[in-house]
Order: sequence, then structure tokens, then C-alpha cells
Amino acid sequence: MKELKQVMLLTVREKRDVSIAIFFGFLAGIAGVALMASSGYLISKAALTSQMTILIVMGACLKLFGLVSALSRYAERLFSHRATFTMLSNLRVSFFERLEPHAPQLFQKYRSGDLLARIVGDVESLQNFLLRVFYPPVVLGIVFLSTIFFASFFSFTIALVIAAGMMLTIVAVPAVFAWRQRKIDSATRASRAALSSEAAEFLFGFRDLKIYQQLDTKEQQLAAFSKDYAEQQRKVGLEENLSQSVNGFAALLVSFFVLGLGTYFVATDQLDGLYLAMLVMISLAVFENVPPMAVFPAYFEDNRKAAVRLEEIVAEERNKGKSLELSNGPLDFKLEGVSFAYPDEERPALQDVSLTFKAGTKTAIVGPSGSGKSTLLQVLLNIADVDSGDVAVGGIPLQKVRQESLWAAMNVVLQENHFFYGTIRSNLMIANEEATEEAMRNALNNVQLGHFALDMKVSEKGANLSGGEKQRLAIARALLRSKPIWLLDEPVSSVDSSTAHAIYQELFAQGKGDTFVIISHDLSGLEQMDQIVVMEQGRIIETGTYKEIMKRQGYFYGLKQIEKSIFA
Amino acid sequence: MLDLKQLAYERKNRMAWLIVASLLKGVAMIGQALFFVWIADAVFLKDASFREVLPYFGGLLAAILIRAASGYAIGRTGVNLASEAKSTLRTKLTASFAGNPLQASVQGQSGEKVSLLLDAVDEVDAYFSKYIPQMVQSAIIPVLLLIVIFSQHWVTGLIILITAPFIPVFMALVGIKTKEKADAQMEKLGRFSGTFLDVLQGLTTLKLFGRAEQQKQVIKKSSLDFRDATMEVLKSAFLSSLMLEYISMLSMGIIALEIGLRLVVYDNLTFFTAFFVMILVPDFFNLLKDFGSAFHTGRGSAAAAKRLAAELEKERQPVAFGQAEMPEQPFAINVNALSFQYEDGFGLGPIEIAASPGSRLAIIGKSGSGKTTLLHAIAGLLPLQDGQILVNGIPRSEIAETSWFDHLSYISQNPYLFAGTIKENILIGTSQQTSEEELTEAARKAGILEMVYSLKQGFETPVGEAGRGLSGGEKQRIALARAFLKKPSLILFDEPTSGLDLYTEKVLQEAIEELGRDATIVTVAHRLHTVRNSDVILVLADGKAAAKGSHEELLETYSPYREMLAIQQGGVLQ
Repeated sequence: MKELKQVMLLTVREKRDVSIAIFFGFLAGIAGVALMASSGYLISKAALTSQMTILIVMGACLKLFGLVSALSRYAERLFSHRATFTMLSNLRVSFFERLEPHAPQLFQKYRSGDLLARIVGDVESLQNFLLRVFYPPVVLGIVFLSTIFFASFFSFTIALVIAAGMMLTIVAVPAVFAWRQRKIDSATRASRAALSSEAAEFLFGFRDLKIYQQLDTKEQQLAAFSKDYAEQQRKVGLEENLSQSVNGFAALLVSFFVLGLGTYFVATDQLDGLYLAMLVMISLAVFENVPPMAVFPAYFEDNRKAAVRLEEIVAEERNKGKSLELSNGPLDFKLEGVSFAYPDEERPALQDVSLTFKAGTKTAIVGPSGSGKSTLLQVLLNIADVDSGDVAVGGIPLQKVRQESLWAAMNVVLQENHFFYGTIRSNLMIANEEATEEAMRNALNNVQLGHFALDMKVSEKGANLSGGEKQRLAIARALLRSKPIWLLDEPVSSVDSSTAHAIYQELFAQGKGDTFVIISHDLSGLEQMDQIVVMEQGRIIETGTYKEIMKRQGYFYGLKQIEKSIFA
Repeated sequence: MLDLKQLAYERKNRMAWLIVASLLKGVAMIGQALFFVWIADAVFLKDASFREVLPYFGGLLAAILIRAASGYAIGRTGVNLASEAKSTLRTKLTASFAGNPLQASVQGQSGEKVSLLLDAVDEVDAYFSKYIPQMVQSAIIPVLLLIVIFSQHWVTGLIILITAPFIPVFMALVGIKTKEKADAQMEKLGRFSGTFLDVLQGLTTLKLFGRAEQQKQVIKKSSLDFRDATMEVLKSAFLSSLMLEYISMLSMGIIALEIGLRLVVYDNLTFFTAFFVMILVPDFFNLLKDFGSAFHTGRGSAAAAKRLAAELEKERQPVAFGQAEMPEQPFAINVNALSFQYEDGFGLGPIEIAASPGSRLAIIGKSGSGKTTLLHAIAGLLPLQDGQILVNGIPRSEIAETSWFDHLSYISQNPYLFAGTIKENILIGTSQQTSEEELTEAARKAGILEMVYSLKQGFETPVGEAGRGLSGGEKQRIALARAFLKKPSLILFDEPTSGLDLYTEKVLQEAIEELGRDATIVTVAHRLHTVRNSDVILVLADGKAAAKGSHEELLETYSPYREMLAIQQGGVLQ
């Protein structure tokens, strides 16, 4: 239960809606019981007498309880759902607050696109906590206790039987099934993951599978995984059905014993026969509220797992000791003997890298894909903590620098830049809140996006923009910031070369005297760089100015030759 | 439209079970009520002793047991039905994916297809596990109850017959209203619920710009807006349940009044009948309510069923193969009036081109001109809509599929590495027994031996998820190792555009040189030297053959080719 403490606290925060929902839930449940009880009592009474008043009372009671029950049910649903969605909002905000300090190294660590979707899914599934986990036992408990209290006036023993039934159906059975659910749940999850990756393999590797004539084998394997997943799901379904049936049976059994005891008591004159029908009806009615408990185990387990997973993500200690502010002087970056490996990867992404980026110089980093260029950028951004070696900025060890103070001095354009749902304006303002209309227009013009209106809509992830447009918009954002350090990771890879050339000229003009670090696999236009760094397999192969390394006729020269021979 | 109902009805045994179990459950419900009332009536009005009613308890217990057991059986059958239906759907989907050769050209949609196979199929679960069993029960049990009620007291039966139809009518009315509202809120809902993901996805950007703090308010506001929009829709959905409850309450009220009148005023109804009817009537309405909610669940599966149907109804165009076995020597390839048309409009052909045994054919052209499509068509991955491909003079469609692919290597720009060890990934190239020496030799020729030996586990190093941890160049070289083991008669090569390291470039050139000694090579070429070294060059433009000939011939006769070369040699950079 302690895993769900956080969620519990957030739930309780919505005091008003939750308590109103519980109140109406109770009212609806108890009115249903009252309705059945009164009908049982009144029929018995009517059988004995022939007074009109009985009939009138009967009619009035049925109407009243029926109406109260239906209306309360409506109010209960309204308030409980309202509280649920308010809680979702609280959940999101509270999780965001805790996740925020861990970005972006978190995304760097997991290197997996579905992490975010998983986080969102987990947060979303926690919204069921109130409706499916917290709320049903509470409301049921109150309804049951009131009913038991009422029944105890007529027969203490029968009240005890109902109490035993309550313990069985809302405590014992759900607890047992929740415990069983743990094992089933993880098996299902595992078989789903296996099927998912097998399916992805089948589809992504389709052509190669076809050519290597492995398609049939793979199809059979896929069928086997699919069967396994179906079997796991079947188990889950059967479990839910069993839990439901056991609960239903327990409820009927309680009514059976209520009738049995009642009959015995009436026969031995310990109970007035007038109340027998009523007590039986009570026990039938009160257990009609139990079905939501059948899904309790599954939701409980689901919520528990989600809470644990979310906790794992935010629990890790990070950014320890990153507290120093940047110095005021020129910001040189100095790397010495730096090595870095991603978790779970055998080969280091950077190996013994020593480099200096002097303030006010322009450096280009080139090399084949997978050579460690972007990883180097992560190190400069103080996101990747190096395994060995030293990195310093402005003379201070980078590990000790507060990340935000470093980023405040940078204009960063990554390979993948995020654009939010909104307008061009709102997306530009992220870079600089105080940017004037004119400044924004200028920035757009400078990246040759002058034809974009500032009010133009941008859909989620900038899906309505082409790759080149997104890159240019990201550069426009950087231009609006104009900080002294520029880190650009293949900023114009999807832009045609003449536009790219013009944009670079604009960048260098605006950033005169700034430090530039540009990753590029386009080898053109590097003549104006102060330093070219050539990387391969995480190592630095060559450094120097364009002239120097072309003269050497080494690796860069070779790459240049290949680029020349690329046809179309 | 995919008929889910049909899919359920096809499983006759399961359906029969559902019917039998529902009948049993109905009988048990009636029996349970009957014994309850008998016992109450006996001790309450007839002053029977406990011993006298004891046999009735036996009957009651039996009824309860049967009711619980048949309820369990219905649920179990539903779960099994769902499980079988889902398996059937998944098998059909996989077959549809496998049988659709176009698959090879639409890899971009793979993510969507995985979701179809997993999520969409799971979404129809409720239709089989909840809706169908509930539908069967609702079709059988209320009728049983109604018959019994009629037999006991026909007026009550009549009241039910008159009031019950209001329930579906009102449900439908409210349902339509709800749907309208839901449609109106749809866009809002989608947007508000997407904001959280949007902000999380952009968190890196926000952090780098120092703007993460402000986003809390954005999340809060959009979540609350989402809540309000959802509540709008839910309100009318809840109203429908209120309506349902209200009508059943009203109906039960009228019945109770009528029974009461007879009991009290006219005294012409027994307690037994009155109590019996009063127990059965709520059961009747509860079943209708259950059906109402099951109906909603069932309808929720409709969208998923639509998506599934769209995939399953796709037209299949299998690639034709025959029986002929191919010899182990370089193929002569003759492409005759080949054409191919995609659904989205792009058309290739008609193409005429020939490659003599052991020669090299290069295909060049701008991106989108149909180079890869042509390569796929030659490989036998796409069905020909017109024309034919002759291999050593035999139509390709007459060659046995195994024999064809046994003699073919296809080296793509981004070779796929399967989850498994490096060794397994190389051995996939051949169906023959391979010795350790042959494996090492192939790896050496492909220039990966050194890299493999540098790994702790060597050839047994697992690579997975499309070769995570390997660079683009290394994947290329593993694909080459596969080809060296295979010793193909025809090599189809989609030359990488860029992004390779110098070493891989060198290995690729040498490997193609060596493999080409015993094979015909068709290359989608991006390198000038590859083009120059080819015997025939085919220039594609917009899916048509713009020109063909040797390097020298094209230089002389086809001016765009000359321009392309001029750009290359002059350099695009100046």
C-alpha cells in the first residue's frame, strides 16, 4: 500500500468532491437497500392486514427510496468523476514538478522514445485510483456497516452473518485476488512486450526476412508469441471472472444463511415472521453493490505498478554537486582524456577525447554516423557525466557547474527540436519572452522563413512543418536568444545547400565574436572554421584548420573525396 | 466492415455453451426466488417448523450453486471466445502483412501496424468477453422471467411489457445526444489530453531555454479544461443511466402498487405470489441495465474493428513464382516493358533494360524517381502489373521461390539486424551448413572480423533492436558478410547515400568487386566511380527510363547526364 501513498495524498486533497461523492454513493447504496427492505416488510405486513394506509405508505416508500437512489447515483457519478479528473490534473502537475529537474539527462539515459508515452500512460492510469481502488471499498464499507447496524436491531446473529459476508466480499476475496494478480500481471506485461518486439522485427525486417526466406519461420514465431500473449490475457480474464463469481457466490451464500437463520428463529419464535422477508431482501440488496470490487484487484495492481515505475524514474539522485555558477570571463571549454559509455553498451561512445574550444572561435565536428559527435555535444551541455577525464568551462570543472547557469549562456539547436502545439509566435517566445514583434519577424527572415505569419498554427511536435522548416525555425529561436555560445547539431541537414549557406552567413554575422560548435556531416563551407575536428568510433582522428587537414590528405581528405563523388 | 458478430457466431460450440449456461442461470434465478418465497411463506404464514422447510433449503442451495456456476461458465466462455477471436484476428493480420508485398516499400508505417496488431485487437476484447455473453443472457433470461411472471400474475407481466420498451427508446435518444456532444468536444478533448505529452516531449527544449517552470500552469490549465470538457460529455451519459434507473423504478412502483392493491384491498393475491413477483421484477430490470452498459462497451470496439477491417480488406497482390530451379552462375537479366503502379499514384515504367551475365547495371536518378521500386520489382518483392523479367531466358514467375532467393543477395542502405548474436545474423545469409572457418572467412572479407574479435563475446555478442550499438558502417559490413557466405548469382545493391566511414567505403568497393566476379550486379548508384564502372547505366526520371547506355554513350548522347557530371566535378560547394 505504501507505494500508493503519494496518490492517496493527492486524492485526499480533493476533499470536497471526494466527500460529496462518498456521501451520495452511500445514499444511493443505502436507499437501494431501504427500497428492498421496505418492500419486503410491507408485503409481509400487507399479507396480514387489510389497511389502506399500508398501501399508501408502501407506495410512498417505494417512490421515495427509488427516486433518492437514482438521483444519488447520478450525483455520485458526477462528483466522483469530477474529483477523478481534478486528481489527474494534480497528478500531472505534481509528477511534472518532480520529473522536471531530471530532464534532459533522463531522456539521454533511456534513449528510448516510448519512455514518455509510458510515463503519460502510467500517470493516466493512476486516475483510476479514486474511482476503482480507493472509493468502492470506502462507500461499500459505510453502506454495509449501516445495514448491519440496522439489521442488528432485529437479529444480532443475522447482523453478524452479514458482517462476515462483508469481510469476505470487500476485504478477503479482493485481497487474495490482488495478491494473485501480481504474478499474472508481470507475466502478461512480459508476453506483450515480447509480442510487440517480435511484431516490430517482423515488419521492419520484412524485406530481409523475405530475401533470406525466413518469413515463414518468423510468421510462425510471431504466431507463437501471439498465442502466448492471448493465453496470458485469457488468464487475466479468467481471473477477473473467477473473482467476480466467487464474490457473487459469497453474496448469495450470505443470503442463504440469513434466510436459514431467520427461518430457524421464526420457527423457534425468536424472531417475528413479519421481518423475515425484509431481512432476506436486505441481504440480497446490500450485496448488489459489490460488483465493483471484482475489478478492484486488477486496478489495484495496475496502479501499484504504475506508481512504482513512476517513482523509479524520479527517485534517482541526480545533479549532485552541480551548484557552481559560471564565471564571468570568456568561456573556454577544455576536454582532457574524456571517455564516456552509454549504460548497457559495451563500447564507449567517446574514447580519450582531448580538445579545446576557445571562446570566440568556430569549431566544426565531422565524422560518420555513430562516431560520437552528438555524444560530445551532450558532454558540453553538461548532460552526460563523463566516465573518466576532465571537462572544464571557464576554468571550472563542468561537473560542478549548475546546468541552468550553463544553458543560460547558450543557444542550442539539437537534431530533434521540439515544437509545441500553438503558433509560430508562441514557439519563438519560448526562446525569449521579451522578443518584440519586429525581432521575431527579423529572425524568421534571417532563416528565410519570412513567408511564415507569426500567427500561423503549429501542430503538436510541429507535425505540419517540413524537416527543413523545423530546422530553420529552431535556428530562428536560437537567433532570438543570442547568447555567446552556440551549440548546433546538424542544424541544416534537411535544408538545401544554398539556403544553408545563407543561414550560416547570417549566424556568423550575428554571432560575431561568439563561440560556435557545429556538428555537421556536410563537409562544405568549412573553410571559414577556426578548427575542424574529425571523429570516428568515439575517437578524434584529426584536428586543424581546413587548410591544414586538407594538406595532410588524411581522413578528412578521404571523406571529402567521397563527398565529391556522391552522385545524386 | 469487419463483422465481429459473425466472428463470434462462427464459434458455434461457444455460442451453444452461452445459450445453455444462460438458460441454466435463468432457471436457477427463478428457482432461487421460488425457494426463498416458499420458505418465507411456510414459516411466516403457514407456521411450519424448521424441520419441515429443511428440504427447501437443499433446493435453495442447489439453485444458488447452479446460478453461481452458470454465471462463472458464461464469464469463462466469454473470455475464451475473446481469446480465440483475438488469436484469429492476429493470425489474419499477420498473414495480411506477410502476403502483401507492398509491405516492403512502406516501412514507414510499421509502427502503426504494430499498434494495429496489439492495441486494436485488444480493443475488440470487450466485444467478445462482455458484450456477446451479456447479449445472449439478455435475450434469454428476461424472457424466462417474463414467462414465469405472466404465469403467476399476468397483470405484472403486462405492466412490464408496456414500460420496458421505454428503456431502449430513451437510451437511444440520450445516446444520440451524448454522441453529438462528444463529437463537438472531440477536438478540444484530444488537444487538452495531448498537452501533457507535448510538454514532456519538449522538456529538453524547455529546460535548455530555461522555461520549464512556467509549464506547470500550462499543464494545470489544460488538465482542468480537459476535465470540464469531459464532464460535459459524461453528464449526458450519466443522464442516460439516470433515465434507465428512473424508468425501471417507475415500472416497479406501478407493479408494487398493483400488487399492493390486490393484497390489501381485494385480498385476491397470495403473499407467495406477491413476494415471488417482487423478487423477480428487480432481477428483470437489472438484466436490462447490464445490457445497457454492455452495449456501450460493445460499441467502444467499433472504432478498432473499423481499423482492423481496413487492413484486412486490403487487396493482396502476391508475387508469382513457379517451379524452375536456377543454376549457380551469374544470371542474365532482361526487363521487358515492366511497369508497376502504387495505390497513391506513383507509377513506374514501362522499363526496358538488360544485363548480361556477370555485368554491372547501375540505376541513377533523383530521389523519388523510382530507383528502389525498380530494384524491389527485380528482386521479386513487388508484383509486376505489366511486362516481365526474364532470367536466363525464363520468366521470373516460373522460377521456384526458394531457388530464386537462394541465388540472390540484396544489400540495402540500412540492413536489418535481427535480435540474436552476430553469428546468427551472418548465418541467416545461407541455408547450408557453415563451418567455423567459412564464417570467419566471410567476416574477414567483409571487414568486420577485427571488430568482432574486439568484443568480449566475439561472434556470440548479442545485437538486437535493429542492431543497437552498431554503427551504420558496421551494419553494412555484416550484410556483406551474409553475401560472402551466400555466394549469390545476382546482387541487388542499394548504395548508401552518405554517412559511412572511410573504412566501410573501402570494404564495400572491394567486396562488390570480389562478389561481382561470380554474379550479375544491379546497383542503385550514388557514387560516381560505381556509375563509371558499370556496363549499362539506366537513368530514371519520374518513374520512366530517361536514358540508358554506357558512361561514354550517355556522355555523348544525353546532356542531363553531362550536367550531372559537371556539377560533381565542379563541386556543388562553390
